[in-house]
Parts: sequence; C-alpha cells; structure tokens
Amino acid sequence: MNDSDRLRAVRVRTRRRMVFSLLVLTLYFSFVLNWTEAGAFLARPLGGTQVTGSLVMFVALILLFIGLELIFLWFYRREGSGDE
Amino acid sequence: MSSVHELLRKGFAALMPLSMALSPVAFAAAPGPVGEVSQQALNPVAIGMFLLFVLVTLLITWWAARRTRSSGDFYNAGGQISGLQNGAAIAGDFMSAASFLGITGLIFLGGFDGLVLALGAFSAWPLMLFLLARRVRNLGRFTFIDVVSERLERTRIRLVAISGTLTVVILYLIAQMVGAGKLIQLLFGLPYEVAVIAVSALVLAYVTFGGMLATTWVQIVKAILLLTGVTVCAVLVMYHAGFSFDTLLVEATAAHPRGDAILRAGQIFDDPVQVTTTLVAMLFGTLGLPHILMRLYTVPDMVQAKRSAFYASLFMGYFYLALIVLGFGSVMLLYGNPEFFEPGGGLVGGGNMASIHLASAVGGDVLTGFMSAVTFATILAVVAGLTVSGAAAISHDLYAEVMCKGQPDPARELFLTRVTTVTIGVIAVVLGILFQDENVAFIATMPMVVAASVNFPLLFLSLFWSGLTTRGAVIGAVLGLVSSVVLIVIGPQVWVSVLGFEAPLFPYDYPALFTLPLALAACWLFSVTDRSTRGTKDRANYHALLLRSEFGDAASSAADGGEAVAGAPAAGGRV
Repeated sequence: MNDSDRLRAVRVRTRRRMVFSLLVLTLYFSFVLNWTEAGAFLARPLGGTQVTGSLVMFVALILLFIGLELIFLWFYRREGSGDE
Repeated sequence: MSSVHELLRKGFAALMPLSMALSPVAFAAAPGPVGEVSQQALNPVAIGMFLLFVLVTLLITWWAARRTRSSGDFYNAGGQISGLQNGAAIAGDFMSAASFLGITGLIFLGGFDGLVLALGAFSAWPLMLFLLARRVRNLGRFTFIDVVSERLERTRIRLVAISGTLTVVILYLIAQMVGAGKLIQLLFGLPYEVAVIAVSALVLAYVTFGGMLATTWVQIVKAILLLTGVTVCAVLVMYHAGFSFDTLLVEATAAHPRGDAILRAGQIFDDPVQVTTTLVAMLFGTLGLPHILMRLYTVPDMVQAKRSAFYASLFMGYFYLALIVLGFGSVMLLYGNPEFFEPGGGLVGGGNMASIHLASAVGGDVLTGFMSAVTFATILAVVAGLTVSGAAAISHDLYAEVMCKGQPDPARELFLTRVTTVTIGVIAVVLGILFQDENVAFIATMPMVVAASVNFPLLFLSLFWSGLTTRGAVIGAVLGLVSSVVLIVIGPQVWVSVLGFEAPLFPYDYPALFTLPLALAACWLFSVTDRSTRGTKDRANYHALLLRSEFGDAASSAADGGEAVAGAPAAGGRV
C-alpha cells in the first residue's frame, strides 16, 4: 500500500469514526429529553407495568452503545486490514 | 419518614456536587442528606475478608516486583497485558466506590435521576474505542502526553499537559484519600488517620515494587470482586421481588416517600442545562483522565487496545445495569425498615450506605463484610492507578522527556520513578489528613472538569485536526484550566458551600459545557492565526502523525522517505 492509498484508507476510517461518534453523542445527549417538555412521553409507564420509557431508554442506550462497538469492530475485521 | 422527605429536598443541593465526581469523597466527605455520617461497629467479617484481599494483592506484588526491571515495566507492565485483562483492569480502575455506593445511594434517594451519572460514566467507552484507542496506542509510549507532544513543540506542550495531568491526579487523589478515610471509618470502624495511612502504605507497596503490573492485577482482582458482589446482591434482590422487575418497581414506589415519581426524571435535577453540563463533564472528562488513558499502553498493540476499550465497556455496561436493580432494591427493602434508620429519620451511616445496608438486608453479615472489603479494595485499585499516572507524569514526561530531552539514563529514571511514587504517597497522606474536615466537594468536581477542558481538547485536536499549532494548543489548554477553576470557584460548591455567600455567581456545579467549547475555540482561533515558523512546522507534521496513528511505525517510515524509525513510537517519525 503506497502513501496515497494509506491516506485514502485513513480518510475512510476517520469518516467512519466520526459517524459512529456523532451517533453516540446524539443518542447520549437525547437522554436530556427526560428533563424537557418534549420528552414528557418518556415518563409514561409502558404496557400496564411500572416500567417507564425513561428506564427503557437508559437500558436501551447502554445496550445500543455496546452494539455499536461490536459493529465498529466488525467493520475493521471485514476490511481485512489484519488489525481486527 | 416525613423527615426523610424533608431532607431529601433540602439535601440534594449539597449531595449532587459531591456525587457527580464519581469519587468516594463524594459520598463520605460530607454528611449525606439522609442522616449524619456515623462510625460503624467493628465488622470482623469485613476485616477478615479485607485482610485476605491484602494478602493476595501483596503476593501479586511480590510476583510482579521480580518482573519490573525497567521504567517501561514500571509504566506499562512491559506492554504484556492482553485486551481482556486490560479491559477488566480499566473497569477496575474506573468503577470507583462512588459508582457502587454513590449511584445506588442516589437512586435510593431520588430514583431515576441517579442514573444520569451511570450513563455519563459508561458512555465515554464507546467514544474511547471509536476515537482514541487505536491512535493513542499507536502514537504514545507511556502517557497521553507522548501523543500530544508528538507533532508540537515538545517542551512547551509537555509542560502544559503535565500541569493538566498533575492537577487532575492530585485533586483526584485528595478526593480519593479523604473519601477513603471517611468510608473506612464508616465501614470498618477504624480511625480516619489510620485508614488514610493504611491505604497509602498498601498502594505504595503495590506501585513502588510492582509498578503497573501489580497495579493491573490489583485492579483486575478488584473488578472481579466488585462484579461478583454486585451480581450476588442483584440476584438476591430479584429473589425478594419474585424475579419480576415490575414487582421490584411496584414495591419500590410503594415504599419511597415520593411514590412513583422516582421512576421519572426531575427528582434531583430540574434544569436540562444542569443535566447537559453534567453529561459533558462525565463524558469528556473520562476521555481525558490520564490514569485511564495510560492503561492503553499496557497492551502489546492497537488491536488489543481496541479490545481493551470494548471489554471495559462490557464490564461497565453490566455493572451499571445491575445498579438499577440495586438502587431500586435498596428503596424496596430499606425504606420502612426501622433497623436501617436513625431515630431522627436518617439512614444509618448516611445516604451513601444504602448499598451496604442492602447487602445486609439480603445477605446478612457475610455479604455486608464482603461488600465492605470490596469497597476498600476499590479505593486501593483507584489510588494505585492514580499514583502510577502521577509518577509517570513527573519521571517520564518531565524528567526523561523534557529535562533529559528524551535521552535519560534508564536506571536513574527508574530510581526517580520509585522516589516519585513514594513522594506522591506521602503527599496523599498529608493532604488526606489536612483536608479531612474541609468541604472537599469542589476538589471532587475539578478533576473531571479539568480533564474535559484541558486534556481532552489537546488530545482530540492533536489527533484529528491538522491545523493545530503549539501556540493554539498552549493557549487553549491554559484557558481551559483557568476557566474551569474560576467557574468552579464562583459556582455553588465553593462560592456558597465553602465561602458562605448566599448565591453563586455561576449557577452550575460542572462548568464543562462552557469551558470545553471555550478551550476548543481558543485552540482553533490561536492556531489559525498562528503565522510563526513553528506553526507551519506543526501543521506539516500532521501528515506523518496521521499515518502512524493508523498504521503504526511502518507508515511513518514510508512517510519519512523510507527511513527506519527506531525505538519507541513517541521518539520516532518526528518530521
């Protein structure tokens, strides 16, 4: 791989890093919705239980972030770059 | 119970600044909102289990000491730790006593809002994997300062970054030591000074003789113990709730003075900006913590570095999910049980003891003793990580790289490292004792804000922005540091709680929402307007750094025109 190929690969990887990071940041700060009028729907219990949308959101965010990490690592493995 | 309700409202303002720093001091340095902190009776089970932990960790140290022969061994365990081991060690380093005691205590008091801190602490790890793990591992050798000084003017940027690191480490250390003294006083019935000296002596033994290798294994053992304890508690709580999460919540809301309001946001925080600035501090502060970043160098390569971040996420994700069960379990089982409350209505030992009382409620003396010992182990693991990081900042970053221009005498450097470690231990004891009666809430807040406003901007921009120059980086970092300190001083924690003024000049405990953008903007402005020769060189250096950050040393050889890059990554490939 010559220098310009490497730079192209770096650009692709950097773009990917930014997309994943922006996704995490957007989801992360959406948690603030719980403290706003716009997020009032999250306070409601779901399906006749005591479980609220807020609690589901917390659990879902943690699981989603772990899922995103797995996808991110999978991209590197699929690239066959030999590093993951 | 009505007094609990009253205190709940009045006490949050005092509790929150403390709790958010995720340091034990947060929950022990000041009286909790539900009951005064009081010393507990001597717990022989806890002491027995703790002595067993000490014995095991000292054996680990003896084993590690025979393998620690160079400064490289001391700083990064010779880079021999696997991704899984390092992930567990990172989790052990990061899951402080406050995560266990504090977040559970906050859920006990205010329900859902306590989870803000859990989400903040967890969410840095995906970003660590996406943005930092690979590049930081490829570019540095022992500390993140190696990375930020890679393409900028070495002396100036190192001095600024060392200032940021030492500020974070020392403040974090004071918070940990004061918290340790108070917590151990609570859990074991030992005098404060004895507790502080015991923590420092043990940590010195680990770090001075075993370096990063011993520290790593202490953190791994602690992580395993903590996750085991939390799992046992969570299973026993679910047993009490008939293994139904809905039943757990129904019974918790029935027991809590605020009823089902604890399942919604707004019991602790009422301002979205306050939530946002807390989330910013937690997220970016974690990404700038020097003792956490240093762990990325203990693995042999970037693949293991990325795996470390992923495994750390897994362990911490599990831990914070389990805390939901523990938090609402403590509400279900403690409220309404007079055994756990003082005659005046406060929780025995203070609000931060909720998880320890929960262990007692579901597992009796044995589980209480186990969880108390785990809490002590937790403090030791965190302080050990901080001590290694502080020692590396002085002996590697300052002595070896700045004073010796990267050419130190190895034996002298290792000797200095050990002397520095002992010095840090002594300083920790002295400061821990000096600050024992002070309101140290602001000291617990500062490390996260400073890390978010100084270390993170430097690290992120040096890795991802070609336009960063030494001038921009230095001015941005200094502004980040000064603004963090000033806004914390004029904020509620110092201006009102310490200095006694009626109202703060700045309304938020965690100013990172304002100081981080300020530092980034200053870095940008003073870089783009930098017309100096040094600035031109800094920009030109980015190309080689970028390739090496992604492909390792081989790439920099190509970028340098095929010249071999010998030695450590930090020293090679400079253009």
